[in-house]
Amino acid sequence: MLVSLFVTCLVDQLWSSVGVSTVEVLRRVGCEVQFDERQTCCSQPAFNTGYRDEARKVGRHFIEVFESSKAEAIVTPSGSCAAMVHHLPELFSADERWEKRARAIADRTYELSSFLVRVLRCEDVGASWSGRVTWHDACHGLRDLNIRNEPRNLISKVKGIEFVEMDNADSCCGFGGTFSVKYPEISLAILDQKIEAIERAKVDAVISGDASCLMQIGGRLSRKGSAVKVMHIAELLASQA
Amino acid sequence: MLSNAREEILGSIRKHLAASGPFDAGETNDQVVQSKSHDFEIKKNTESLIELFAESLEAVDGHCVIVNNEQEVIDAVRRILVDLRATRLSPKRMAVSDADEIRYLVESMSSELDEVAKAPSATELFGFDVGLTSVQGAIAETGTLVLEADREQNRLISLVPPVHIAVLDAAKISCTLGETLDALYRDGKVSPAITFISGPSRTADIELTLAIGVHGPQELYVIVKRAC
Amino acid sequence: MNHLSSETFDDNARSALADVQLRGALRNATSLFGKRRLAAAASLQNWEELRSQARSIKDEVLLHLDQYLEQFVANAESRGAKFHWARNAAEANQIICKLIADRGGKKIVKSKSMTTEETHLNVALEAAGMEVVETDLGEYIIQLADETPSHIIVPAIHKTKRQISELFTSELGIPPTDDVDKLTATARATLRDRFAQADVGISGVNFGIAETGTILIVENEGNIRLTTSLPRTHIAVMGIEKVLPRFSDVDVFLKLLPRSGTGQRLTTYQSFITGVKQDEAAEGPNELHVVLLDNGRSRMLAHPITRQSLACIRCGACLNACPVYQQIGGHAYGSVYPGPIGAVITPQLVGLEKTAQLPYASSLCGACREVCPVKIDIPRLLLHLRGEITEAAVNKRRWEQLAFKLWALVMSRARVYRVSAKLGGILQRLLVRDGKIGKLNKSGWLAPPLLAWTSGRDLRPIESKTFRDKWQSELKQRD
Repeated sequence: MLVSLFVTCLVDQLWSSVGVSTVEVLRRVGCEVQFDERQTCCSQPAFNTGYRDEARKVGRHFIEVFESSKAEAIVTPSGSCAAMVHHLPELFSADERWEKRARAIADRTYELSSFLVRVLRCEDVGASWSGRVTWHDACHGLRDLNIRNEPRNLISKVKGIEFVEMDNADSCCGFGGTFSVKYPEISLAILDQKIEAIERAKVDAVISGDASCLMQIGGRLSRKGSAVKVMHIAELLASQA
Repeated sequence: MLSNAREEILGSIRKHLAASGPFDAGETNDQVVQSKSHDFEIKKNTESLIELFAESLEAVDGHCVIVNNEQEVIDAVRRILVDLRATRLSPKRMAVSDADEIRYLVESMSSELDEVAKAPSATELFGFDVGLTSVQGAIAETGTLVLEADREQNRLISLVPPVHIAVLDAAKISCTLGETLDALYRDGKVSPAITFISGPSRTADIELTLAIGVHGPQELYVIVKRAC
Repeated sequence: MNHLSSETFDDNARSALADVQLRGALRNATSLFGKRRLAAAASLQNWEELRSQARSIKDEVLLHLDQYLEQFVANAESRGAKFHWARNAAEANQIICKLIADRGGKKIVKSKSMTTEETHLNVALEAAGMEVVETDLGEYIIQLADETPSHIIVPAIHKTKRQISELFTSELGIPPTDDVDKLTATARATLRDRFAQADVGISGVNFGIAETGTILIVENEGNIRLTTSLPRTHIAVMGIEKVLPRFSDVDVFLKLLPRSGTGQRLTTYQSFITGVKQDEAAEGPNELHVVLLDNGRSRMLAHPITRQSLACIRCGACLNACPVYQQIGGHAYGSVYPGPIGAVITPQLVGLEKTAQLPYASSLCGACREVCPVKIDIPRLLLHLRGEITEAAVNKRRWEQLAFKLWALVMSRARVYRVSAKLGGILQRLLVRDGKIGKLNKSGWLAPPLLAWTSGRDLRPIESKTFRDKWQSELKQRD
């Protein structure tokens, strides 16, 4: 299957290994991966902060870039970005033409784990990684896109892995986009409850499907000098350690 | 001036609803689903209704006694008074409602207590320890008593004294809340004051810790009398 | 009076976060509520169906609110109830004060009503020289402490047993105690007299049933039954959105409300009051006055996104589920209604200008939407309000507006985006140490968001080789 990769601005600049891993995994399961270098951002930061015109400007660019792709699916290693793409039609609800174009894009946009499991029906991607891990349910992926079992199934098939559920895996990490810097104290208070749960789980790594959550969680673990690693599910699935 | 407020508010409602018209088209609303399904099998048989009612009542800290006739009701009330004497709530004065079906209790209990009064006034009620009433219905699935104030003077007797004893005719127990609501809405009218009671009064306002017995009764006894 | 303002939400939140006792109380209460709600919802196999049904009933009512209100009023009036329409809070208070004064009423008992909190009724009554006592235990505690409620269902959720005991000792003279039963018994004993002597009872209304003209009020303590059946005059205050079409609709809402609010199958008492007694000698009040309050509600009907705000049945489930509320509690919002529902209705009731922080005080996690018994899409409402706020430019964030304009310029042009990423990668060298950006001090002023982030978290730097670079150099060839 031909797949067009939407790597996301965050992964592109701050976490390229997630992008590299995503390509690797998709190729391993037999996809041909296309990357349109004109891509930038899904417009989520502006949309979430209430800047709808600015969001539309960037949204139009997104639509134009991906419209030109003949790929059957647009795949992204981010639940929140996939969810944002699904919100694009609503963003253009006052413009029938753009709304239609947005819908056509949204209809073939998938988050990575959900693409692997629901579309390709593949749970074992030939990964191996030794260690004890837990999964953090990123909010948008969980509640907007119903992604809950897919990543857990994928993780369970990784050779050598020991998977444990932490308390309140589905509670927010406190990132929330600009919320994390508008209300940093509240963001940290929420985050520390997540960190406590991670510590109670006594894991080597926390896995999630959103780089933003991983930045939030990883940033705190790093500040606290913790040995616990954060890993994106793409990195885990690409691993053949 | 006040009728202007009515017209203004209704006008404001109409105006704003009209304004939302163009936006409503794009919204998909849930289908109107009439759900009458229940999570358990509906019971029709009186014995199973009694059993379910008792179970539900006990789950909300009410006490249930099941008897077969009036003499057994009298015995049950006596035993309740004995139990209460062992507590702080030592009963001396009982108020009984004006319901015909429990009239026999006024006489039979007068020897047990300092005073048994029929339908005392509201202010007088504050000096009574036990309130005894019948009820107009009950809901088995939740252990709920149904009181209709225009059929019996039970609104305050079931509320003010710290102990409420209710005599319930088993034939009046319906299975579900839904059935009960349908039965209460008769001939296009409902009673002016209907009260549902499910157990003794309670609160969790202090550190979410349960405390039984706040402003309403602290103890609720329901004597279920089977049909003769 | 802890009259915190929503304008200082960020300061309020910081103070709340520093209050160790408050955070402990909130943590225990919200997690307990969460567990109970979950268990209660799971006890019904058709929970999701019920939510959909409830929402569709509410949608039906709201789309025809004028008609259902008129039907409700006509039916209740035919049974002897009297109606008063209040366009705003001040008018509601005026109406109520006049009703009481005209009847020579002096001693008022009141049961819990968030709508009367909204109008600040007690302040108005006291200013008119009337004595009013709150009879719901949580509200009574708050009244003694001269505070406002911090939760829709459990007004004193922020207080520990110790604090309540101290309060009762200083206000009521009882010896200190850790025993919840003793504290409750004290409140009961103190309030009995007030009930016995009251000439007016004021209550709220959970639902107004149009088909029969019935008001339905639910509770656990019994104070509502006492308030609405002992005094000669009963005044019920009701938001105009509280109407339900049919008597049978009560079934769905009685299944959802107690379970969502406290995890109970049913609250201890439900009072269905239809008009007044027919017989003078019968029990119950001689008069029933219902005050219908608009106070900004009718405006919310103008758009489907905002209209759903009016579906709220005030269960409080969203508060318990919200990661923000769980950390800061209700007072920090500086509004009558706190938590997720508060963050969306307060700006609509009060206006965007003074409340512009509230819709931003959310990580948009969606936990509230998941637990709402009437499926209000609070995140969608928050985003809608954020859009309104930036468009009205009331949030006074000039720099932010400019920043996003610049951001949009960069993000809509691939080449500019690539260049700016390279630029960022160079500029950040000022800040990167040991492969990360740690806690900034002086250098932080350059970018407040950066300072805010690094106050508690390290930050990954922009990579010298971005994904695009790697695609170009390594990955692309294999295509």
